Order: sequence, then structure tokens, then C-alpha cells
Amino acid sequence: MAKIAYTLHVNGEDHEVYAEPNLTLLEVVRDELRLTGAKEGCGTGDCGACTMHLDGENVTSCLVLGVEAQGRDVLTIEGLAQDGKLHPLQQAFIDHGALQCGFCIPGMILSGVALLERNPHPTREEIRQGIAGNLCRCTGYTKIVDAIEAVATGVAH
Amino acid sequence: MTTADRPERPQYRVIGTRAKRTEGPGKVTGTTVYTADVQLPRMLHAKMVLSPHAHARIVRIEGASALAVPGVSRVVTAADLSEAIRDGSNPAVNPSNRGDALIAHTEVVFAGQPVAVVLGESLAAAEEGAAALLVEYEPLPAVLDIEAAMRADSPLARRPAGAVDRSEESAHVTIDVHAEESGSAPTNISSHVSFSRGDIATGFAESEVVYEHTWRSATLHQGYIEPQATVADFQPATGELVVWTTTQGQFHERDTIMKTLKWPETKLRVIGPELGGGFGGKMAQSSPLVSALAVIAKRPVKLVYSRKDDLLAGRPATGALVKIKTGMKRDGTLMALEASVAYDSGAYPGAPAATGALLMSSFYRWPHLKVDGYEVLTNHVSAGAIRAPGVHNVMQAVEQNIDEMARQAGLDAAEVRLRNAVRTGDPMSSGKEFPAIGLVETVERAQSHPLWQHRDEVRAASTSTKKRGVGLAIGGWLGGLQPAAAELFLNSDGTVNGVTGALDISGTNTSFAQIVAEEMNLPLEKVSITTGDTRTAPFAGMSAGSKTLFTMGKALRDAAIDLRQQMYEVAAERLEANPDDLEVDGGEVRVKGVPTKNISYERLAAITTGFGALYKPLVGRGTVTARVQAPGFTAQIAEVEVDTETGFVEVKNYASVQDVGFAINPMSVEGQLEGGSVQGMGIGLWEEYIYDDSGRLRNAGLLDYRMPTAADVPDIDSTLVEVPSEDGPYGARGVGEPSITAGGAALANAIADAIGARVPMMPATPERILRAMGKLGGSEAAGG
Ligand code: FES
Ligand code: FES
Repeated sequence: MAKIAYTLHVNGEDHEVYAEPNLTLLEVVRDELRLTGAKEGCGTGDCGACTMHLDGENVTSCLVLGVEAQGRDVLTIEGLAQDGKLHPLQQAFIDHGALQCGFCIPGMILSGVALLERNPHPTREEIRQGIAGNLCRCTGYTKIVDAIEAVATGVAH
Repeated sequence: MTTADRPERPQYRVIGTRAKRTEGPGKVTGTTVYTADVQLPRMLHAKMVLSPHAHARIVRIEGASALAVPGVSRVVTAADLSEAIRDGSNPAVNPSNRGDALIAHTEVVFAGQPVAVVLGESLAAAEEGAAALLVEYEPLPAVLDIEAAMRADSPLARRPAGAVDRSEESAHVTIDVHAEESGSAPTNISSHVSFSRGDIATGFAESEVVYEHTWRSATLHQGYIEPQATVADFQPATGELVVWTTTQGQFHERDTIMKTLKWPETKLRVIGPELGGGFGGKMAQSSPLVSALAVIAKRPVKLVYSRKDDLLAGRPATGALVKIKTGMKRDGTLMALEASVAYDSGAYPGAPAATGALLMSSFYRWPHLKVDGYEVLTNHVSAGAIRAPGVHNVMQAVEQNIDEMARQAGLDAAEVRLRNAVRTGDPMSSGKEFPAIGLVETVERAQSHPLWQHRDEVRAASTSTKKRGVGLAIGGWLGGLQPAAAELFLNSDGTVNGVTGALDISGTNTSFAQIVAEEMNLPLEKVSITTGDTRTAPFAGMSAGSKTLFTMGKALRDAAIDLRQQMYEVAAERLEANPDDLEVDGGEVRVKGVPTKNISYERLAAITTGFGALYKPLVGRGTVTARVQAPGFTAQIAEVEVDTETGFVEVKNYASVQDVGFAINPMSVEGQLEGGSVQGMGIGLWEEYIYDDSGRLRNAGLLDYRMPTAADVPDIDSTLVEVPSEDGPYGARGVGEPSITAGGAALANAIADAIGARVPMMPATPERILRAMGKLGGSEAAGG
């Protein structure tokens, strides 16, 4: 397939892309822009490891074409920490031991951030529903829910 | 989390604390590098072509249609593999084990077996080429049911081959028992092991309550979120082969490539980047093949399994068939156990027959027992390890039998377990004695847990269509053993760096740093432990079998003691003191009781490294081999609500109690318990390979292969019991495996408590629950 040129706005910066139009946003960001924080765990929208924000909304980037993201704001995990300072949720994941192998974590944190933007004070049950699209095999989720709850309730650990 | 039964012990500063993961910042910012993130110049992409047939002869592979796809550079079949093997041999010709069967040669023995690999300039090209490749098969009779496969007149799943390779099982397990390989006439039973004690007939004659049942459990996937991946770089000019791969053990990976490709280890470097979960499944699965592809193509090659590839062509955990009869006196004294477990090993050996038979019969004091373990070959995908391979299958059986006998005798099921649980020094069914163990303490804690104490109230809260129940089960793991080595270096600024070859999956590098900080009397942030690769680190075993901290933690403690001793010797000369009178504190070596007589770590570094320095560099070394296992036991309690109209189960509450010996980092240990418990819930309720009648996997995707989400499970209430092991660092035990062993059984017991019926196959899906309640006709499809 012939490559085409387009621009993606990722983490506040414009990036020129020259790639096949059938590549997914996940492939373009990982392989062309070399931002590899988003992971591929399934490629079919079922694991959430590839989660990004598109205009502030959670998307599974393995199901979005790169060209569909033109002219929109793409946020990946690399864009979450500002000026070298971790986002409070990133810090909370570390403080609460809410990570093990780490493979699900970029997607999990972005889903957590999106949840807190929609609903700043979720119950534990709402937190569980909010991250139900993100599989984690290592943690059993308890500490992940703890971390999100801590940020929501403003209780630093 | 609560910590119970903590014995008197020294005051520690750094170990035993909830230290934050040292690699956390990289993981939360997405900068940590995993294998699939590695991208090399001129790299080719590989796509496997998988067999749709469970058993067939390969008649013809026609590469032209694939090669016609723009960007496809080569189609590699089994016949081509000898190009990559140093002595020109071909491991794929009549292989005895899965490892050698890199690509199927003339015959496929499971659906999902690779028959060719297409290499392309892009992944899209390779995928398109793979889809276009023409492969013609002639189907052969497939062996798909364990019981049928065991019959003497069954067709063979695979042509008999040479000696059986047991590396898959021995990777996780340290047991003294060796199975007999099957005898002369070839059958599908590739291994059989048995244990007995007392006289089984007497045992049942003296029993007052007897329960007999057949239990099945499904094949399931380890479920790591990061699929298998390897990038191999071959430099024809130098003969160097550098391999990045998703692995739990770099040295095991290196040795496997060396043996498969006959490649000298001086020209081989294996790098295990951060690992996105393994659970027993990341052991030399793709690196030998991709190494061969790189040598054949003379270019770097990258293979990343799709999730479908991983489900079809991975090495899942075995399904099993357990037949079990147990006997007990009315007072709750266990009398007799007669049982067999047959594991569906798939097309190649790798099932934990010996482990299963041993662990099934060793956790209670059975005066009379007779157990058999069978490894059975079928035309399913061949099995690998999982956390505590084979144990959940047998605990499902034993723990439901115990539960049912307790119910029939009107006894507290926890009390029955407590009364019969093995103690330190008791014999296993193999005759070997248990070292120091804490099963009794673990069950006691579970028995007093509110979830168990309030089980009557829970049951009373049932409505006509929502039945509630509580179930308890135990499980355990004997623990792995393997030598380990570590090195530590004193840095110029007085900090300490260390290197090991152990992959950090669960926070071990943080725990290692805690150990070194403790021994060097430094704050944690002044110690850094790195995972080196097979060229830069000393030997390390696999991060598997719950032994990483148990063995490597000891090596680090010894290395720190060694480094400290070397520092004392230099300091003694400078301070004109006796080395025995020295201590470390605040980054200084001091004379005990005379704090003004001291020398700083910085100064010691300077006088052991500077130009013209008088003293040798300070390098602490720890090399250990562990000989005494440290078995870890768990007791788990599940509270469920079963919808009797839909068969749907909701797990309302869950408690996990485990003897961890000593928690070097309680936060990491809890994480292991919580993750293992939820994995156990998946085993009990949702996860299963569903095959069609011709042996094809029907649910090769994460939508249909259902792993627990956050919304499916409750919080895990974890309790750490600390009964010190004899040989582990500071009394620690392996913690990874026990946590997965009891969940399926605890849920099964809770469901039975709720609905008053037993579900004969795990997972307890809504359909099976309705059938157990007599609300649905039909019977369990064999093996499915
Ligand atoms: S990779 Fe996109 S949801 Fe799994
Ligand atoms: S931390 Fe490993 S999958 Fe979530």
C-alpha cells in the first residue's frame, strides 16, 4: 500500500508521519514516532494495553487508524508527566505498589486519569467499572483500585 | 492486609518494610523497554503460518503465492532450518520435544503448530504473505480426549520419538521423584509415576465416611498481557548472535539456543528486557526459532506473537482428569486416599505428572494412600508450566472431597483440615520429610477469619434465586531450588551497585536492594541492583518456581557480607584496629564503641580504585546453592452469590492467607498474593480452552478467553503468616506460586455451599452450574 504523509498532534507536539494509511494509531505511534509506552496486548480491543486519549476520551488505539487521529489531540503515557513531575496518579501507582510487570500500567493509568476527569470522586465499585477495559494479570487489581481511590480522595500515601 | 504470627526476630531497618518499587518511575511513564519495543535497522518481520488441523500430514507447501506479495522476502519451512544449525543437522525432523519442533516437519500434531514462517520488510507484508501461503494437508485421526488417549488401542497422537526431554517440568519443580518413561509398546502415556503408603484396603475398611468423584479441569493460558516476542540480530561477519526475548530466564534461553542451533556461547548474547508477565509461560518459546530465522536471513528478525498466535501456539497449562476416592473417620481423621491424575500434555511431554501426584497426596497425613500421575499425549497444543504447574487441578479434587466428607460428617471443614494438616518433619507421599512449614498456622488464621466465622449468616442471607455460600480450600507449593550468583561493587560516592542475571518480574530487584541496604547499613536509595544479560551477569536461574528471592536473595546477602568483610580488612589497616572490632553505620566503617575512629565508604572506594591506590578493588561476591526447599502454603476463603436462574456467580468477598516465611517487602508479597488469588478465580470461574470436535480452539482471542477484569472480582483481603524457613534469606519462602493453587477449589466449595450441588468441571461456568443443579440437560463434552 502506498504511504501517505499526514500530521499527528501527540502530547502537545506536531509530528509528521509518512506511513501506510491502514496502519493503526498504535502502530504509527509505536513504530513511526517511536513512542513505545502504549503496548499491544491483543490488537482486538480487548485488553486496554494500547489505551490513549483522543481529545480527552479514552480509546483503544489498536482499533483506531492513524489517519483518523489527524487534527485531534492524542495523549499517550509519555505525555502525562509534566516538566519531569509525575502526574499524581502515576505517583500513586508507585506509592501503593499498584504495578508489577508494568505492561498494562500505561493503559491502566490513562484509563484511571480519564475516569477521574469524568467522575472525580468515584466509589471503589465505580473505579472497578472504569478500568474494566484494562486487563492486568499481575496485581489482582486491589492495589490499583487503592491507588486511584487515593488520588480521588486526596489521601496521599 | 494483616501480618499474623510474626515471631520474635531481630530489628531490621530496610527489609520487612514496604519499600516502593525502584523501577516504578520507568513503568508509570512508559519509558521502560520491553522486547517488542526493540527495533533494529534492516530488521525483517516474521509471521508464523499455523496449522488449522489437529493432526495431519503436510502434503505440500507452495511458497510462490506468498513470495508474490510485495515486501515478502522469504518463506522458511522446516526443511530450511538446517541452514541455521552449525552442524547442518535439523532438530525439527522427528523431534522428541516441543522445543526442537521449531516448525512442523511433514506432520502437524496440534492445531496451531507453525508450518512455515514468512519474512517480510514490514509486518503487513509478512502477514499478507502468510495469508497467501498455500499449504496442503492430509488429515490424520486426532486424539482429543484424555481417557480415550490412555486406552491401549488408541491411535497415537504422534509418532514415537527418541528420549523425552523433561526440561519444561524441571524448570519449575524441584522434586526427587523421577517418573518411569513408558515401556516398550508405544502408547500415549508418556510418563507414569505412583506413590503409596500403608494399605489402601485397610484404610477404606476403617473409614466411616467415603466420598468418590471424578473431577475435570480445563486447559488454560498463563495470560501474561505481553505476548511472546523475540528480536534476533545476526552479524555474519563476526558470527555474533544477539537475542532480545521475552523470558523468565536469560541463561536458560541462551542454553536452549546453544543446544538447538549448536551455537557457541562465546558468540551468543541473550538479553531479557523488562518482562510483561510470565507465570511459567515465558521459557524459550520463540527465541530458538527467531535466532534460526536471523541466521537464515542474515538480517535481524523480529517476531511478536499476536494474541491469537499466543493462545494457539503458546504452551498453555494442562487440563486434567482426576479420579479420587477418600475416606475419613466420623471424628474427622483422614484415613485413605486413592486417586489418579491424568494431565493432557498435548502433543509433546511437559505435563507435571510427578508434581501433581506428589502434591495431591502430601498436604494431609493420610495413613493409607495410593496415587498415580499420568502424562498423556493428545493432539492438543502441548502444555507448558504455569504458576505451580498441575497443582490447581489436583487441589480442586482433594479440597472438594475433604469439604464434602466434612459436610457429611457434620464437621467444620477448617477443623478437619487443621486436624490432618502436615507438620514440620512429616513425610510427603514420596517419603521425603517436610522441612519447616506453616500449614497449620495458615489454616488457623483462615479458620478465625471473619469470612469463615460468619459463613452461617452469609448462607442465611440467600434468597430463593440468589444463593450465597462460603468455601475454604488450601493449596501449596514445595518451592524451587537452583544455584545463584551475584556481585556488588562499592562506588566512588559510597553507594553500592550490584548485578545479577535474574529477571525482575515481581519486584525482586527492589527486595534485593533492601537486603543489600540492610547488610551495608545504608539507606535504600544508596543501593542499586541491575539485571545484566548473559554476557555481563553471573549465572542466574529462571525467575520461576518461586525461587528468585529465595535463592538470589541469599546470594545478595552473601555478596553484601563479603563486600563488608573486604571493607573491614582495608579499614582495619587504616584504623589500626582488628577487623572483628569494626561495624558499618551511616556510610562509614567504624570501630565499635569509638565512633570517631572511622573511615567513610567514599574514602574506602578512593583508596581501592584511585591511580596508584594501595588496595584491591572491593567486589563482593555471593554464590549459593540452596538444598532445603521452603514450601509455602495458602488457605483461601471465597464468598459467592449464585444466581440460580442464570447460573452466574458473583464473588462477593475473598480472603487469602499465606505463609511467606518472612516478607522482605510486604507490599510486593501482598501483590503476589492478590494477583495469584485473582488468577485462581479465573481458573475457577472463567478461563478455559474450548475446543471443537476436530481439536480446533474456538476461543483464540481475549474476548472469548475470559480473564478476570477489575469489575469481575472483589478486593483481596490478604494475610501474611510468617513461619520462617530454614534456608531462605531471613526466613523468607517463595511466594509466587502458592497463591494460585487454592482459588479454584475455594470457589468450587463456596458454590457447592450455596447451591448444594457439585460442579464436576472447572471452570464453573453458568452452563455447568445450571447442569449441576439439574436445570439443564446434557453432559460435559469429553475433554472440553
Ligand atoms: S492492544 Fe488494543 S485493546 Fe489490546
Ligand atoms: S502489572 Fe503486569 S499486567 Fe498489570
